[in-house]
Amino acid sequence: MTSPFATRRPLVWATMALAAVIALGAGLYFGGFADRGNVTDLRGKEAGALFGVALPDAKGREQSIGQWKGKVLVVNFWATWCVPCREEMPEFVKVQQELGPRGLQFVGIAIDDVPKVEAFAAELGLNYPVLIGGYGAIELSRTFGNRLGALPFTIIVDRAGRISHTQLGPIKDAQLRTIVSQLL
Amino acid sequence: MRIVRPSSRARLAHGTLPAGRVGAELMLKSSIAGILTSAVVALTFCSGVAAAEPKLLEPERAFALSVQAIDEKSVEVRFVIAQGYYLYREKMKFAVEPAALASAPLLPPGVVKDDPFFGTVETYRGLFAVRLPLVGAEPGLKVTVKAESQGCADAGVCYPPQVQSVTVALPAPGGRPGAPVAATPAKKSWFN
Repeated sequence: MTSPFATRRPLVWATMALAAVIALGAGLYFGGFADRGNVTDLRGKEAGALFGVALPDAKGREQSIGQWKGKVLVVNFWATWCVPCREEMPEFVKVQQELGPRGLQFVGIAIDDVPKVEAFAAELGLNYPVLIGGYGAIELSRTFGNRLGALPFTIIVDRAGRISHTQLGPIKDAQLRTIVSQLL
Repeated sequence: MRIVRPSSRARLAHGTLPAGRVGAELMLKSSIAGILTSAVVALTFCSGVAAAEPKLLEPERAFALSVQAIDEKSVEVRFVIAQGYYLYREKMKFAVEPAALASAPLLPPGVVKDDPFFGTVETYRGLFAVRLPLVGAEPGLKVTVKAESQGCADAGVCYPPQVQSVTVALPAPGGRPGAPVAATPAKKSWFN
């Protein structure tokens, strides 16, 4: 009998190889689903309807989202009553400050009333426009894949007006920067 | 990293096996076991990755409402709040038709949280129950209870306020409380 090591070696390798294949498959399958699990995947689709949306700002002036077409647009649905929304916004302010000159434009859509939005915007030193959506804006977000109608919900649109990314829940700083820097 | 573990475990098992035909058969078996273990570990690992962005519940399932007619002049409202989700005490609102609330419901105290923007807020987790005293009610009357609630998930999302409603029949005086009735939301489609 040869060394048992010699006979088992191919088996060990076969086991490892098969495990790797299974892991890769499972990773693609579950990873792919989990990533888009809470939103309908609309990446690559035209964001046309978004540019047709017009909502009042805090001063009551109607603002069309179409005015920012051609920029890398980050539309963030939020509310003051949503703690995770408020928590990610200071980062948005920083990124707007840094990358705004390169053509990045954040636009907030608040599911909220004017006094609260103004108070929070002042507290935060918000440097990008916020439109007042009311609960109707939740329905608008649903049309962009936010099936649960929850907040925060963010849509990133490229310069050509195509949806590059949608996200329910806070968007990590590194992920945000990675996505937008590829589009700028 | 974790994929390697079952293989190294298999190697360990092989090391303790006797040489010869029986041993070889056992080796083959334990290699199959190793493959299966690898598969299980791989799946577990990948669902671990999936758990980093967990599947969120629809609000009516995260905050499941039921109403029970207690006696001819009161109903009890319950929310079963899924683990990892919470409701705001201040956002709870109740209305009853055609009877009316006899007084403002006595909401149980929640867990106090300090909110940098809103100040002190109270939240509920697990089970929430409140008794609603009614006026203008009569035995056998069917009353519709509307409950408005607003909550969030620890995963980092908040749901807008939602109104759920349940209709229950009030029992006769001295009669048994009715069975709890769940708000059963109609599914719009298979996909939501």
